[in-house]
Amino acid sequence: MRKTFRGGVHPAYHKELSREQALRPFEAKGEMVYPLAHHIGKPAKPVVKKNDPVLVGQRIAEADGFVSANIFSACSGKVKAVEKRRTLSGTMQECVVIDNDGLYTKAEGFGVREDVSGLTNQEIVDRVREAGIIGLGGAGFPTHVKLSPKAPDDIKYVIANGAECEPYLTCNDQLMRTQADAIVEGLELMLKLFRNAHGVIAIEDNKPVAIAAMTQAIEGHGRIKVLPMKTKYPQGGEKSLISAIAGKDYPARMLPADVGCIVENVGTILAIQRAVVFREPLYTHCFTLTGDAVKNPGNYMVPDGASFAELLEYSGGLKEGVTLKKALAGGPMMGIAMATLDVPIQKMNNGLTLLTDDPAEKAEAQMTACLHCGRCTTVCPLGLMPQLMADTLVDKDMDRFENRLYGLECMQCGSCSYICPAKRPLTQMFKQAKAEIMARKRAEAGGKK
Amino acid sequence: MNNALNLSSGPHIRDKWTTPYIMHVVSLSLLPATIVGVCVHGMNALMVVLLSVFTAVASEFAFDKLCHKPDTWKDGSAIVTGLMLALCLSPDSPLHLPVIGAMFAILVVKCCFGGLGKNFLNPALAARCFLLISFGTSMTRFTVDGVSTATPVAELMQGKAVNITSMFLGTAPGVIGGSALALLIGGLVLWSLDIIHGEICFSVLGGFTLYIGLFGGQGFDPRFLAANICGGGVIMAAFYMATDYTTSPVSRLGQMIYGLTIGVLGGIFRLHGGSADSFSYSVISANLLTPVIDMNIFPKPYAFRKKSVFTRDDIGVGDLISRVPRPVVVLTTITIIAGLALSGVFSMTKDTIENQKLAANLASFQVVVPEAESFKSDETIDQAIADLNGEVYGSDFGRAYINEAYVGVDAAGETVGYVIRATSSDGFDGDVSMAVGLNAEGAINAIDFTTLNETPGMGMRVADPEFKDQFNGRAVSKFTLNKAGGSTEEDQIDTVSGASTTSGAVVNAVNAALDFFNTTVKGG
Repeated sequence: MRKTFRGGVHPAYHKELSREQALRPFEAKGEMVYPLAHHIGKPAKPVVKKNDPVLVGQRIAEADGFVSANIFSACSGKVKAVEKRRTLSGTMQECVVIDNDGLYTKAEGFGVREDVSGLTNQEIVDRVREAGIIGLGGAGFPTHVKLSPKAPDDIKYVIANGAECEPYLTCNDQLMRTQADAIVEGLELMLKLFRNAHGVIAIEDNKPVAIAAMTQAIEGHGRIKVLPMKTKYPQGGEKSLISAIAGKDYPARMLPADVGCIVENVGTILAIQRAVVFREPLYTHCFTLTGDAVKNPGNYMVPDGASFAELLEYSGGLKEGVTLKKALAGGPMMGIAMATLDVPIQKMNNGLTLLTDDPAEKAEAQMTACLHCGRCTTVCPLGLMPQLMADTLVDKDMDRFENRLYGLECMQCGSCSYICPAKRPLTQMFKQAKAEIMARKRAEAGGKK
Repeated sequence: MNNALNLSSGPHIRDKWTTPYIMHVVSLSLLPATIVGVCVHGMNALMVVLLSVFTAVASEFAFDKLCHKPDTWKDGSAIVTGLMLALCLSPDSPLHLPVIGAMFAILVVKCCFGGLGKNFLNPALAARCFLLISFGTSMTRFTVDGVSTATPVAELMQGKAVNITSMFLGTAPGVIGGSALALLIGGLVLWSLDIIHGEICFSVLGGFTLYIGLFGGQGFDPRFLAANICGGGVIMAAFYMATDYTTSPVSRLGQMIYGLTIGVLGGIFRLHGGSADSFSYSVISANLLTPVIDMNIFPKPYAFRKKSVFTRDDIGVGDLISRVPRPVVVLTTITIIAGLALSGVFSMTKDTIENQKLAANLASFQVVVPEAESFKSDETIDQAIADLNGEVYGSDFGRAYINEAYVGVDAAGETVGYVIRATSSDGFDGDVSMAVGLNAEGAINAIDFTTLNETPGMGMRVADPEFKDQFNGRAVSKFTLNKAGGSTEEDQIDTVSGASTTSGAVVNAVNAALDFFNTTVKGG
């Protein structure tokens, strides 16, 4: 096992802002909004209607098909509407809106530790599916699908992703410090499904406290080990971890399971443990509120559906006298720039970074022609040639981009744009080109039918 | 508040390195070489540097304004171009050269092709080639104390011994950026900062060394190689010119191919070309290859490289080895095979190489040791000459050098005499070289000049029998020059009237040869 992948960059981490802040619960008082398409796959179907009373942990939408996920309410109150609301992506989406009574009355049927030693593999996966667990790392892929590969015996590594390579974010660090035993229990439950697999807890070496906590927690768990990884972005990317740990690089058309790996964020693993052992559905997750504009940066257990704006207010708001220039859902590398904070926090949102300065705006002013310095090719974790790819896009040579330079492989980690001294918007160009090519392909496929 | 939020597509942060930052670091790294050049060569060199840099920046500024382009003159690249051009010019350049050169570099080579990142030739080098063609005489005129002199590389190409130390430090006659040491320091700093690619600079040096060693006629003699590398802008080309981002390939393999091309072309031009500017032309030629290399040679993503992943089960040593990029394995293998083949070829052709060295001056050698059937080298003598390191011989002989020495043998293989080729740089117009023939006992047979460029009717008269035959048959340890004439003593030599400088140079060289004979050949 290597400690890292090839390429990568070293952005300023700024984790000191919130690193030592313990996880606190955020009890939102305002209305809660649940987009039905919050995960990868088919949107869920609502099972409540206007004016229905709901409790904490009550299912409000059910999975529609295998690649889909249940949605649970994180508050008690009554359904205000099932209607289109603006979401993080900026579009209007169908959402269940709940009028929060602020009492947080829990539904029955979960929260008591059960003996799970006798559960079959199928029962474990069923409990995960019931709980509506999706990947909390960012993509939002339904976890029960990941846990049901075609050949479970070929899985060699179950990787708990605690790398947290995204700058600013620290909630996974705190989660590992405080919930180490529960995470290990969750990982053991996953290992039960894959009898030939080893568990690897991958943590960047800038989190010594978390590494120590996890190392202590795995004592007596022979199949699990803690692997301190080199601190380098995008260490926590699925492909980076698999390249480092399993030594395998795989193309975009394949899934981690095809190369014998299952990768889950530590937050997701904790959710699995809660779901299997306590039958608790997933309606709350860890979250970092940070950035130089925030008065009290910190880590929170946030209820799904609460608004970003309310969390900021709850924490104490912005620093006095500063102007907020940039709001990012997530960190500055892969996060999404927000036009408004009045949108709901979804499961895969693990942070809100509020900045008084906009480095992207500054970069735009510093942009020059491409120097051909080759830095982007050195840092690309997939071994792509971003500089040549950008050249082909300028020439509108989509065929060369797709077929000779493997442009569709790009996972949009942003390393090339980050490192570019000429401040070319490389990742941004690739995102757009990929979207164009995929749209064309879909249109062509549709035409054939 | 919300309306004021900026939107952007990720990543939202950037590295602190910008284009001007990189350009300024490159300029700074050229500073040591510039300072050495100005200190050694004086005021005119400083003027050349300042004018070149100023004109480069001003040209780009003017172009931006006239064509309503964004202000690209601020990005620092024009400073680099101007500085690099100046360092490639003679310190004695008339001041219109840097101005015309910098304007050509920026306006024609760079801006007309689209500016930064679009030029297909290295602007500074293209300008240098332009000036070489247009102002040949001024470009290749180098003086010491007002007198024209040849650069070490020109001498090296003529097969003469050169002073490596002065080439390395930059005190030898030559361009302003002539200090190999200062350029090397700057280049290595850039390399350690990851600003230039090691793949390029080291393959340039490697390709050149390999070619010169293989075909230079002197094998892999470290002094010969060092002399070749330290002179003629090889370091400048390898670390600064070849590594220009825009005109070099992107992929590592492409960069190695490009670098090797430059090195080998440079070697070919150096050995077989007529101009000392072998590297200007080799880099420019290789620049033209770059688009072709970039179109065709680049690696696949990791996931698509052969044997990438799908067969291996776990990680082991074998895995680590298979992770070494293929080009590295291939190139290393080729290098090892080539190296072995070369050493084989070298040992087989060693005699031929030595014969070639001999052939150059063989005619003179036969004049001064007529009894000899052939000349052979002697290990002790060769070592002694190698130890001299091409530097001035002794302290009593002015600027005299011992170039080579051979043992003359007859048909039976018996030693019948010795020949020592010695040079004095104290001639009236450059070097005076001669073959000094001694018989087996150490008395002088005769001397014969191999290089003599003195004033006709004056210095040239040292080649007349009246002067040079004075040495014949004498067996002394040291001659003295008798300027009064009418010498009677065995160790006195009458000067050529009106040419005591040249006469003195000859006597010094002969004395050096005698001293070398007495201390090394006879003593050893």
